[in-house]
Amino acid sequence: MNRNVDLEQEGIEIKKSCCYFCHENCGVLAYVKDGKVIAIEGDPEFPTNQGGLCCRGNIALKHLDHPARVNYPQKRIGKKGEGKWETISWDQALSEIAAKLTQIKDESGAEAVATAGGTARTDDWARRRFMNLFGSPNGFHNAHLCWMPTFMIETAICGWSPFDLDMGNSRVIILWGQNPGASGMPAMHHLTELQRKGLKLIVIDPRFTETAAKADLWLPLRPGSDLALALAMLHVIIYEGLADDAFIAENCVGYEELAAHVADFSPEWAAPLTWLSEEQIREVATIYATNKPGNIQWGTALDQQGRTAGAAIHARALLRAVTGNLDAIGSDLLTGPSLDSITEEEMECNEYLTDEQKAKQIGSDKFKLMTWPGYSKIAENTRKVWGKAPTAEWMCEAHPPSVFKAILTGKPYPVRALLVSATNPVSSYGNSKVVLEALRKVEFMVTCDYWMTPTAALSDYVLPIAGALERPTMTAVYGCADFILASQRAIQPMYERRNDYNFWKDLGEKLGQKDMWPWETVEDAYHFKLEPLGYGLDTYDEFVEFYRYHFPEREYNKSKRQGFATPSGKIELYSSVLKDLGYSPLPEYVGPVENEIDHPELAKEYPLVLTTGNGFMPFHHSEQFQIQELRYLRHEPYFQINPDTAAQYSIKEDDWVWIETQRGRMKQKADVTQAVAPRVIVTQRGWWFPEREVVEPDLGGCLESNTNVLTSTRDEDCDPMSGTWANRGLLCKVYKVKDTDGKGGN
Amino acid sequence: MNHKHETWGWMLAVDFFFAGMGGGMLVIAGLADLFLGIGMTSVLGNLLGALCIGLGACLLVLELGRPFQSWRVFMNPKAILTIGAWSMVLAMIAGIIFASFGIGSLPWSDAILARKLFAVVSVIFGLIVATYPGILLARHKSRPFWTGAGIMGLFVVSSLVTGAAAHIISQFVFDAVSSIVKSWQIVDASSSVVLKGLPYLVAGLLILQLILWIGYIWIKLTGTTEREALAAQRWMSGNYAMPFKGGFLFAGTFLPLVLVLLPGNLFKGIGALLVILGGVIMRLLVVYSGQDRTWLPGEQKYRSRLPIGDEAFLKAWK
Amino acid sequence: MTRYAMVIDTRSCIGCQSCTVACKIQNNLPVDMIYNPVTTVGPTGVFPNLHMAHIPLLCMHCENAPCMDACPTGASQRREDGIVWVEEEKCVGCKSCVMACPYGARVCNHEKGTVQKCDFCFDRVDKGNVPRCVQTCHQKARIFGDLDDETSEVFKLVNGEHAVRLLDELGTKPRVFYIYGLEGQI
Repeated sequence: MNRNVDLEQEGIEIKKSCCYFCHENCGVLAYVKDGKVIAIEGDPEFPTNQGGLCCRGNIALKHLDHPARVNYPQKRIGKKGEGKWETISWDQALSEIAAKLTQIKDESGAEAVATAGGTARTDDWARRRFMNLFGSPNGFHNAHLCWMPTFMIETAICGWSPFDLDMGNSRVIILWGQNPGASGMPAMHHLTELQRKGLKLIVIDPRFTETAAKADLWLPLRPGSDLALALAMLHVIIYEGLADDAFIAENCVGYEELAAHVADFSPEWAAPLTWLSEEQIREVATIYATNKPGNIQWGTALDQQGRTAGAAIHARALLRAVTGNLDAIGSDLLTGPSLDSITEEEMECNEYLTDEQKAKQIGSDKFKLMTWPGYSKIAENTRKVWGKAPTAEWMCEAHPPSVFKAILTGKPYPVRALLVSATNPVSSYGNSKVVLEALRKVEFMVTCDYWMTPTAALSDYVLPIAGALERPTMTAVYGCADFILASQRAIQPMYERRNDYNFWKDLGEKLGQKDMWPWETVEDAYHFKLEPLGYGLDTYDEFVEFYRYHFPEREYNKSKRQGFATPSGKIELYSSVLKDLGYSPLPEYVGPVENEIDHPELAKEYPLVLTTGNGFMPFHHSEQFQIQELRYLRHEPYFQINPDTAAQYSIKEDDWVWIETQRGRMKQKADVTQAVAPRVIVTQRGWWFPEREVVEPDLGGCLESNTNVLTSTRDEDCDPMSGTWANRGLLCKVYKVKDTDGKGGN
Repeated sequence: MNHKHETWGWMLAVDFFFAGMGGGMLVIAGLADLFLGIGMTSVLGNLLGALCIGLGACLLVLELGRPFQSWRVFMNPKAILTIGAWSMVLAMIAGIIFASFGIGSLPWSDAILARKLFAVVSVIFGLIVATYPGILLARHKSRPFWTGAGIMGLFVVSSLVTGAAAHIISQFVFDAVSSIVKSWQIVDASSSVVLKGLPYLVAGLLILQLILWIGYIWIKLTGTTEREALAAQRWMSGNYAMPFKGGFLFAGTFLPLVLVLLPGNLFKGIGALLVILGGVIMRLLVVYSGQDRTWLPGEQKYRSRLPIGDEAFLKAWK
Repeated sequence: MTRYAMVIDTRSCIGCQSCTVACKIQNNLPVDMIYNPVTTVGPTGVFPNLHMAHIPLLCMHCENAPCMDACPTGASQRREDGIVWVEEEKCVGCKSCVMACPYGARVCNHEKGTVQKCDFCFDRVDKGNVPRCVQTCHQKARIFGDLDDETSEVFKLVNGEHAVRLLDELGTKPRVFYIYGLEGQI
C-alpha cells in the first residue's frame, strides 16, 4: 500500500490473492482498479499470516512490472547464450516447440525429453500430466533437496508423512535443521506465540540462527552429523527407559530389531562425531521423550546431506514412534491425502504412462525410493488405507544429476530436450559447473520464467510466465495435505505472459493431447478439484471469496480406526518397504559425505567443514536479486566464518575470500562471527548478478559466488535411497582473494 | 547516495569560517572605532568583514537541498539557525553602511553619531554572527565531539583572531593601493596604530586559542562520556591527528604566534595568513567531526554494509 | 489527550527487515532512503554461549525533539498527539535536523532536496489504522497505540514490562520503547 494511493476511491476491487514468493503463500489483499493493481497489503483474515507480510511480499508491485521481466515469447537467433532474440507469438513458439519435441520423440523416444522444475509454491500436476501423456518419465525438480526424501521415508515407515504438527497442544518442539526466523514467517510467529505460553523450543543447527537465538536449547552439531545424533537419541530413549512401551506394543513392529541395532550408538560414541557433549545428547533426547506430547519439525537440512540423508531421516522419524509422539493430540499428525477434494495425483494421468516408459526413468535403477519402483510400492500401500496416493510430481522423479549426465554423456541414453519451468538450474542444482555444461550442451531447451535467468539465456525459446498476482494459487502441501488454502488472481496476466498451466495445456494440445485438457483456465481446473468439497459453488473465485480455505475436522489417532498404511498395518520401525527395495530396513550409520575421520587425506587438503543451502532474508533461492529495494539491504554475498578460523587464515571482516571444495571454488565476503564453530564455514546460496549482462560467457556471474559450485552430485555421494545429493557436511578450504584472481566457478 | 549517514560538509565549514571571520572583523572594526577613534581600521577591512559574512551566507544557501526556498530559513525564531540568518543579514547591512562612512566622497561620511550607531550595531550583530555557530554546535547532544559549552569559546576565539588577522592583511593591501584610493577621499587608517596594536591582539588570542584547544581535547578525552572520548580520539591519534596537530595547532596557531611578534611586515603578513588558514582547517575538522554521532546498537555495522551508491545494480534498471 | 507511542519487543524480533521494506513501499521512497533500519547486535559471547538481538530503529517522536529546535523554517513540527512530522513544502534541506537527531532518523531525499523521516504513518493512524511497519510484522514485535489509553497494549507493556528508551540520558524523551530479553542485556 502506498500512501499516495487513495484506497477509498471509486471503482476499486479488492482481490484475495497471495504472495507466492515462498512456500508460505501468505494471504494478500490486492487493490485493483481498471485492471491494474494499485496497492497490496497482507490479508488480516488469512489464517497463517493474519495481515503480516515479509519483505518479499511487500515488493510485489515492483516484481509485477519490473523492467527486466520477460513479457513476450522469445526465440533465439544467433548462438546459444549470445543474447540475440526475436519476439514471436505464443502460437508460433508452441508450434515450433511441439514440432521439435515430436521429432525428438520419433527419433529417440519420448524419454529423451526431460523437464526441470524448482521449488514451485503450489501444485505442478499440469507438468506431470503433460509428461505422462507425452510418454516421458523424466520429469524432476530439486525436490530431493526439499522434503521429498523425508516424505517418502516417513511414509514408508508409518503410512504418511506426519508433517502436520499439532503445536498448539504440545509441550516441546525440536526444529531439526529449520530456521523459520529467516524463511517461514508465519511459522515463526506461531512458535513465538506458543513459546510465550510455555512451549519448549529446541533448535538443532550448526549455526546460531535467528531461531536458535530464541531457543530454550540449541544444539550446534557438526554439519552432516545428524544421523549420529538421531541414532544416539534413539539409544538414550530406548536404553534409559524413556520409550513409550505401551504405544510401541500397540502400534509398532520391529522394536527388538531397532533396539539391538542402536545398542552401540551411545552418546559416548556420538559425541566426537557430532561435536556435542554426551550431556547435550542425553538432554535433548530426555527433554523430547519426557515432555509429551512433542513435535519434531522437519527442515531441509537432512534432505540435503547426500549419502547420509536417507538414514538420518529414517532415524529421526523413528524418534516419534518410540516416544509415542505420532498421530496423538499435540504430536505430529498424519493428515493423509485430501479425501474431500480431488488430489493432485488424481490430476496427473499417471495411468497413461506405460510400464515400459516408467522403467526408463533415469536414475530409477540406482535410486529406487523416489522413482517408480519405490513410489509404486508406497502408492500401493497408501491407496489401501487412505484410498489415494501421494503426488507423483515431486515424489516420483528422475534423478536430476543423472539426467544432466545423460545430456552430457548420452548414458544411459541421450536426453536431447530440456523443458525448464520455474527454476534456474545453474543456481539451484548441485555441482553447478556440470549443470552449466549440460545446459550449454543440450540440443533443445525451452525455459518458462519471469526473468532472463542464466538458464533462460542459454535456451532456444523463452516464454513469459505470469506470476504471483497474475495467477490463482492453491496451497495443499504439494498435494499431500487434507487441507486447502486458496487465493485468486488479482489481474489477468500482463503483456503476453501466460500461466504455466496454459503452457503445458497448449503444448499438450499441439502434441495431440487435446481431449485430455478439458479445463480452459487454471480456475476451471481448480474448481473441478474443489467441487467434491460440496460447497455448491459455481466458480473457483467464489470459493476464494466466500471461504478461502478448507480445513477438515482433525481426527487424532486415525490409526486406531484404519491402521497405518504400511504392509503390516503398523508403524514399521524395521521397514519392510525399504527392505523390499533393497535398502537397509534400519538406519545404518555412515559418516558425512566428506569428513576428516573417513577421508583423512582429503581433510588435509580441505580442513574446514562446509554447509550450504540455508535460506536468508530477503532472497529466496536465486530470486529477488533484481529487486533493488531488497538488494539494497543485502547487496553482496557473505559467508560465515569463526574468528579463530579467520585469524588462522588472516581473513578480516568484509574480505573477499575463495571457498573451495573438490568440485571448484567461488568467492564471497567474510562475515567473521561467533555464530558458527571454529572450522565451520557456511556459505550463502542463490547469488548471481542480474545487473550484469546475462550472456555468454559470464551469464550474470552465475558461477562467481554460487555456492552450488561447491556441492557434490557424484553417485557415491548421493543418498542410495532417494538419490538426494550433498549440499552439506562437505570439506572445504578458504583463502583470501588476491586482486589478480579471476572470476569464480573455476 | 552515500552509505554513510549524511552529514554537513565542507560548504558549511567554509560558511562558518567566513561568517566567523567576518563577524570578528566587524567586532574589531566597531570596537576600535568606538573606543580608539575613527579610522583605526582600513575601509577595506571594514568592508571585507561585511562581505565575508555575505560570502558565508551564499555558501549556506548553496548547501541547502532547495536553495530557491532559502528565504524560509528566516521563519522560525526558535531556531538558532534562524537567529543566525537574521543576524548575518543585519550584520552585513550594518557593516556595509558602517564601512561606507570611511569613504569621504559619500555625503554621510561626516555624520559621527550615525557612524557610532552603526558601529554599535555592527559590533552586536558581528558578535552574534561570530558566536552563534559555536552555540549551534554546542547544543548538539547527538554529536559527541561538539556537545557541551566548550566549543562556543573555541569558535568565538577563532572568529576574533581570524578577524584580527584579516584586518592586518587588509591594512597591508589597502596601503599597497593607497594611491588609487586617495582620490576617493577615503579616510586613511593610521597604519602605525593598527599595526602596532593588532599583532599583539592576535598573539594574545592565539595563546588563548592554544590553551582552549588543548584543554578542550584533554577534557573530552578524560573527563566526559565514552562517546565523547572516542570522538576526541580522532583528533589525538586518529585520522585528524595530522591536520589538527600539524596543521592547526602548529602551523595555524603556534607558528603565527611567533611570526606575528617578529618585526617586519613580511613576518606579520605571513603570520596573519597562517592564522586564517588555521581558522579554515579548524572549521573543516570540526564540521567533519560531526560524522561521529551517538550511534545506536548495531547501527555502525548495519550502515557499513549498505551500498555506497555507485553499484551496478542501482543503475541497471532505470 | 492522545499520546501515540510504539513498543518494540526485541524478544520477538527476528531481524527479517520486513518493516524496513514495507515502510519504503508505503512511503514510495527512493531506493537509498531507509526510515527504518533493523540492526543486529551480536552474536555476542563466545561460541556456543551466545546471545543476539535485533533492534529496529526509527524516528523516536521525542517529546523533547532536538530536530524541531534545530529547524530554521518550522517545517519540523509536532502534533498534539506527539507525532513529529515534516511539512515538505517548508523544508529547505539544510540538514540541521539530520545533524541534531541523536537517532539518525532523518534521511535526505536527494531527488527532492528535502529531509524526511518516519511519521508514524499518520495518514493511516488518523483513519484508525496502525503504521505500515506494525501491520506488516509477522512476529507482532511492533506495537503501536495511545499511552493515555489504559486498555491499550502499549500502555500495558510500557507500564508492566521492563521497557527502556534509547539514549535516554540525552533527555529527548522518546516515545518509542524497547523491551529486551535476557533481563535487559543486548
